[in-house]
Amino acid sequence: MIANEILFGAIFMLISVFCFCMTLRFPDLRIALSPTVFPRFVTVSLFILSSFLLAQGIKKQVRSRGGSQKIRIDRAYIIRFIMLGVTGFIYTRIIRFTGYIIATPLLIAGSMLIFNERKWYRIILVSVVTTAILYSVFRMFFRVPLPRFSLW
Amino acid sequence: MSALADGLVYVLNPSHFPFLLIGVMGGIVVGALPGLTGSVGIILLLPFLFYLEPATSLIMLSGMFCGAIYGGSISAILISTPGTPSAAATVLDGYPLAQRGEAGKAIGVATIASTTGGVISTLCMIFISPQLAKFALKFGPEEYFALMVFGLTVIASVSGASLVKGLISGFFGLLIASIGIDELTGYARFSFNIPNLMTGFPMLPVLIGLFAISQIFIELGNVGKDLKRYNQKIRGVFPTWKEFKRLITVIIPSSFLGTFIGIIPGTGGTIASFMAYNEAKRLSKDSESFGKGNLAGVAAPEAANNGTTGGAMVPLLTLGIPGDVITAVMLGALLLIGVRPGPLLFKQNPQIINALFVGFMLAQFLILALGLASVRIFPRVLKVPISLLFPVIFTLCFLGSFTLNNSIYDMLVALLFGVIGYFMRKHGFAVAPMILGVILGPLAERELGKALIISHGNWVTLVRSPIALFFYGISILSVTYSLMRMRSSRKKAKAR
Repeated sequence: MIANEILFGAIFMLISVFCFCMTLRFPDLRIALSPTVFPRFVTVSLFILSSFLLAQGIKKQVRSRGGSQKIRIDRAYIIRFIMLGVTGFIYTRIIRFTGYIIATPLLIAGSMLIFNERKWYRIILVSVVTTAILYSVFRMFFRVPLPRFSLW
Repeated sequence: MSALADGLVYVLNPSHFPFLLIGVMGGIVVGALPGLTGSVGIILLLPFLFYLEPATSLIMLSGMFCGAIYGGSISAILISTPGTPSAAATVLDGYPLAQRGEAGKAIGVATIASTTGGVISTLCMIFISPQLAKFALKFGPEEYFALMVFGLTVIASVSGASLVKGLISGFFGLLIASIGIDELTGYARFSFNIPNLMTGFPMLPVLIGLFAISQIFIELGNVGKDLKRYNQKIRGVFPTWKEFKRLITVIIPSSFLGTFIGIIPGTGGTIASFMAYNEAKRLSKDSESFGKGNLAGVAAPEAANNGTTGGAMVPLLTLGIPGDVITAVMLGALLLIGVRPGPLLFKQNPQIINALFVGFMLAQFLILALGLASVRIFPRVLKVPISLLFPVIFTLCFLGSFTLNNSIYDMLVALLFGVIGYFMRKHGFAVAPMILGVILGPLAERELGKALIISHGNWVTLVRSPIALFFYGISILSVTYSLMRMRSSRKKAKAR
């Protein structure tokens, strides 16, 4: 937790400095409220708060110097997290080519496997039935133009 | 009265009523399932709402809101895991009752108490909201800006364990809200000449990502773990007449307490339920039995947390400021379906408000009917495996993000904010302040701009109005109260 405070404090400080520097390039238009006012107020406040967080982290780190903290890393969890994120990303990439009907059962099946579902009949049934229900609700009832296979 | 009759006719119309029913049923299920909260339920409902009339969408949202708050008690009683944070106090006596084989009676009492709390708070909402809206019609941009500042101070109370992290989350949300074309000047801020960023991040995918997708990532931590189940048979749902007479003396004051707490922005159901529980225990002749399975220990928190529902809608509907996390999400939902809460809503769209009032009231009776009728089904609902539930929700998140603009880019935005939300939540940054920043930031900037245009750039205009000064004053009080509360809870934690 201590290292996290330092890390996140530094990240938010960098974001605030970067965004503040960007506001220096904004035109200083004087139509009542310049477009720089709000972002500058936000970035300066974010900088102050993140430096406070960073200071808190350093203070705690110094206090706990004697005791070593062991951070338990659950590898299986991290792998699952990355796999689910990648599966979602791939879905957003392939859906424009394969269309909703092909890509969605693959997303559901993939996520079920990541969530440790091992019964194949259940994976197939849930993937197909959920895709069909969502298709009928959004495409047929709400008339949402869901992505279609590009060769159609 | 005739306006409410019009609302009743609208809600009972066969083409509108099923949406209320679905909202309540969905809310109960979402509230009962640990890991899914009312906020997630409302967000998952959003993609469906774009295609409905605003009044129908609102009654469905109210059904989901009230249903979810009640649903949280089911898992709290059966498996000692509150489905929503506001049901945490229900665990204290609900779970011991379930272990004694009285789960049916505990759920029955929770249902009756929730309905009573909901009905009382809805009546208060119906009577208070129009009066407050009439008063709020006097507001100009200066008062609205002050009001938005007050709304943003809610960040302090929804910050979780660390105020600094909560504030960082809130300001990060404000920064995200400033991406895109500035409404007043037309200048594209932080857009890097990327066309998609010119309009800023779309709100729906941001909400879906921060609340729903990040929750799915967190649930991956439960893979392979044995989920808690309730395997006993459920018998005897109703309390005896003697028990009921004793409980009603707890339920009614707790309902009023919940409504009052709900009206105050920055409080919410969790505070109300614990306060009601403590009061019930303090005033009880049998206070030693609290924590060991006293029915009053279930009735008090449930009446209070459902009491907050109508109460929390008062500032949301009349002033457009959310009182807690779930009403912040509700505010986002209302803006997305094209309903801008505030006094003008009462003046320009009274039919929407009437339908909402009636829908809110009927939702309470649906909770009573569905809750009592499905007591025996609840243990089965809790057995839904996560390997089935979350992949389906994951898919719904992508599809929901797509529907607003029919854009695959929006799906990517949802995934991106899912990852951001996951890392923030995992490291102690509450996402609710970020949502408040994203929703209220642009509104505050707009009102500030309007005030400055009217006053020809004179900033003193912001502190001229007594109403604005009043809101600045209560903003300071709100932050001070949150700081004091945080300090006292830290002291308590240290003492333990």
